[in-house]
Amino acid sequence: MIYVYGVLRRGRRADVAAAGVEQAPVRGVEHGDLLALVSDLDGTVLAAAREVRAHWAVLDEVARSVTVLPVRFGTVLEDDDAVRASLLEPNAERIAELLEVLDGRVQLNVRAHYDEDRLLADIVRASPTVASMRDRIKRLPEQAAYYQRIQLGEAVAGEVARRREADASLALEALEPHAVASLVEEPRGSDGAFALAFLVERGAVDAFGAAVARFREQAGDRLRIRFIGPLPPYGFTDDELRAGSPAWA
Amino acid sequence: MSVATTPRGYIERPRPSGLADVIDVILDKGLVIDAYVRVSLIGIEILTIDARIVIASVDTYLRFAEAVNRLDITEADHQPGLPELMEEVTSGGASSKTKGVIEGVKEKITGDDDDDDDKGKGSSSRRRSSSSSRSGSRSRSGSSSKGSS
Repeated sequence: MIYVYGVLRRGRRADVAAAGVEQAPVRGVEHGDLLALVSDLDGTVLAAAREVRAHWAVLDEVARSVTVLPVRFGTVLEDDDAVRASLLEPNAERIAELLEVLDGRVQLNVRAHYDEDRLLADIVRASPTVASMRDRIKRLPEQAAYYQRIQLGEAVAGEVARRREADASLALEALEPHAVASLVEEPRGSDGAFALAFLVERGAVDAFGAAVARFREQAGDRLRIRFIGPLPPYGFTDDELRAGSPAWA
Repeated sequence: MSVATTPRGYIERPRPSGLADVIDVILDKGLVIDAYVRVSLIGIEILTIDARIVIASVDTYLRFAEAVNRLDITEADHQPGLPELMEEVTSGGASSKTKGVIEGVKEKITGDDDDDDDKGKGSSSRRRSSSSSRSGSRSRSGSSSKGSS
């Protein structure tokens, strides 16, 4: 069987030094103008935590110099012919279109988390409703206050959601002007503030980074901001290979 | 690579770091091919657990409530007022009715482990027990499951 990492334009330099899934060497399967990066697979079971790094490493290396469309982690096809017949051939037009739009552009992720204790303290101070519910519950024995605790938690979650939305808007406002496109993803964990992905011209990565630095300064220690990339356009190829052009093109 | 023209100190270099970032970037992203063969990915559930915390659920509500209740917020907290109040009561002059109310509150905030002290020592233990309850409320339970920082 064949593990598939991604697709790029044929003829671009794409020899990969990084070991692939199951430590197998990465090679190309060609069809027309396209080349799929693949490696041979022995087993039918993959240890996800280890192989997710291999998948990352292969695409990361290639994306440093050329634009590559990532294929979803864990994608396996029967053999080289299946790579051509189910991936490259029927989707040649769509893939070429994506490669053209994404050419010369990289993905940059900006993630932010709250310090949860500080966030919750801010909410108790700012919301009289939450503060009074909290005071009431503190005077009740734990078992008696079950529903009150759910209500308190729900009120807190509402405040957290409002703050998430507001902070995501602030970040988008600050960073979007430096990007070609942006994506709002679901923040992870209950302390997640926002998860944004931006498509940025390779030449504009520094300007984008400067904007991130300014935003970080503006946010102070209220937000823990993480800036990750340059990445292959993982979020901008979230596509089920059907006809139609991307909304942001 | 292009040469940066902006002053150095204002540019941030993005960087990947731990497994959490890798998972965050990769899972559920990229082209999907309908016809692909399913291989088993062992441990994929473990990778996604942290990623799938839903903010609107009873579990999250209870966790938020617990976290909010254990916060030590000076402005919003009535507890710091209690020790003084108790001192007044124990130094005499208050009615027995008031004392009963304060006793009730004290029991709640001091918890079980202070019971022995209270029996033997009377008024002096009250200040101790109230202060120990305050430091208890400040302690963190370390419930955050995030591996990243």
